[in-house]
Amino acid sequence: MKRLSLRCSAGTTGAVLAALLSAMPLAGMLASPAAAEAAQADPDRPEATWSSIRGDIFPSAKIADAGNAVRIDAPGRAEDAALVPLTLALELPKDDPRTLKAVTLIIDENPSPVAGRFAFGDGIRTFSLSVRVRVNSYSWVRAVAETSDGALIMTKAYVKAAGGCSAPATKDTAESIAKLGEIRFRSFADSGRAEAQVQIRHPNFSGLQMDEATRGYTPAWFVREVQVKQGAKLIFAMEGGISISEDPTFRFSFTPSAAPVSVRAEDTEGKIFARTFPGNGS
Amino acid sequence: MSRTTQGAGRSSRIAIAVLGGLCLLAMPTLAQPVAAPSAPSAPTAAPPAEPEGYRLDAYRAPVPATLHGARVLDASAAAELWRKGGVAFVDVLPRPPKPAGLPAGTLWRDQPHSTIPGAMWLPNVGFGALNAETESYFRAGLSAVTSGDVNAPLVIFCQRDCWMSWNAAKRALAYGYTDVSWFPTGVDGWGEAGLPLEAAQPRP
Repeated sequence: MKRLSLRCSAGTTGAVLAALLSAMPLAGMLASPAAAEAAQADPDRPEATWSSIRGDIFPSAKIADAGNAVRIDAPGRAEDAALVPLTLALELPKDDPRTLKAVTLIIDENPSPVAGRFAFGDGIRTFSLSVRVRVNSYSWVRAVAETSDGALIMTKAYVKAAGGCSAPATKDTAESIAKLGEIRFRSFADSGRAEAQVQIRHPNFSGLQMDEATRGYTPAWFVREVQVKQGAKLIFAMEGGISISEDPTFRFSFTPSAAPVSVRAEDTEGKIFARTFPGNGS
Repeated sequence: MSRTTQGAGRSSRIAIAVLGGLCLLAMPTLAQPVAAPSAPSAPTAAPPAEPEGYRLDAYRAPVPATLHGARVLDASAAAELWRKGGVAFVDVLPRPPKPAGLPAGTLWRDQPHSTIPGAMWLPNVGFGALNAETESYFRAGLSAVTSGDVNAPLVIFCQRDCWMSWNAAKRALAYGYTDVSWFPTGVDGWGEAGLPLEAAQPRP
């Protein structure tokens, strides 16, 4: 019922959103590999969909178990299927000479299963990324990381949520459109956390949402690319799909510096949104 | 472009949309009958009364025991008609179409669906209100499956606790079809009765 309480409190949306986001833990109850293994045998959590899409996403590539190098923090049962908070925690072992190139987030049962691919700047060995996604039916959520040698490692978590891709537009959506492309940046260094957050106002229509007025589906319209840089250095670049929730919001590993932070986003209509912020996040 | 679906200040309308949203949240789980989180089917609860018009939201919920003007079938009665042949079976499980304008190379996978062999699958015709396009799609589908005979027998279904089939059957009656049967437990009841199911594709 979170959606109802969220949506009906007009005027407090920002505060509620802020509270919601600050409730997104960067580290916490991470799915243990043992639990994931035990779940693998569960017939109610089928691998059939993954088998059918895997080759399209990673043609002929071997994918190894990531162990603790990739962890997913996901709610087992989501309160709001249109706003499921996920945190990907990537950390290569200390003796591993490789770096991280990218991580792909996949939601098996979503009609467009690739939620996003996030590429990193050079030299990244540890990275934490939180994002909110839509989950259309009970599904495995997978994070497949790509290391500098081209190897793939994967971790998965099972999420019970349904209807996220088709949850209709709300009053917040109208506001997202009114403020289309507004970008916010905030560093959490002050509170002792090496993290920052970027939010882009955008309805991120999935194309699966029924429009109450036209009784038809609202056309897909979403942010397909986001690039966040610190000075000239890339922090991350996302190629996103319809599974990223309205008002795409990313919380990520960040150490403030004198270098300004620049955010550039482009949506499926080719609209470009960009803004630069002081590097200290204030 | 009129993308904005609700104007500012129309708060009651928004509240309705939000409530509808809550209910719609559960809708795609129709394709996945196990453990729908919001299916509130207490086995002892009396079925709800027939509403006056169409059900407009909360499609995944207990349905009435009746539909005025239609016969109500259980799985064995439906199977009898199916075996007899010459009866049009229409599955109305909703499924959103692949959106236009996705970036090139976007991987798309429709949720697979199994239905009663020989049934025609007409998705999205069981919503409470239809736009003109969906309305004509439904009319054309019914016309095709009955060879244009409004007196031909029709069986309309989706899944258990699915108002979409109730709405669609009511709508078929409104279109003038005279021999409409509603099969409330749909593919769930059919499968549980050990009857065969086959992979379905929506009518284009």
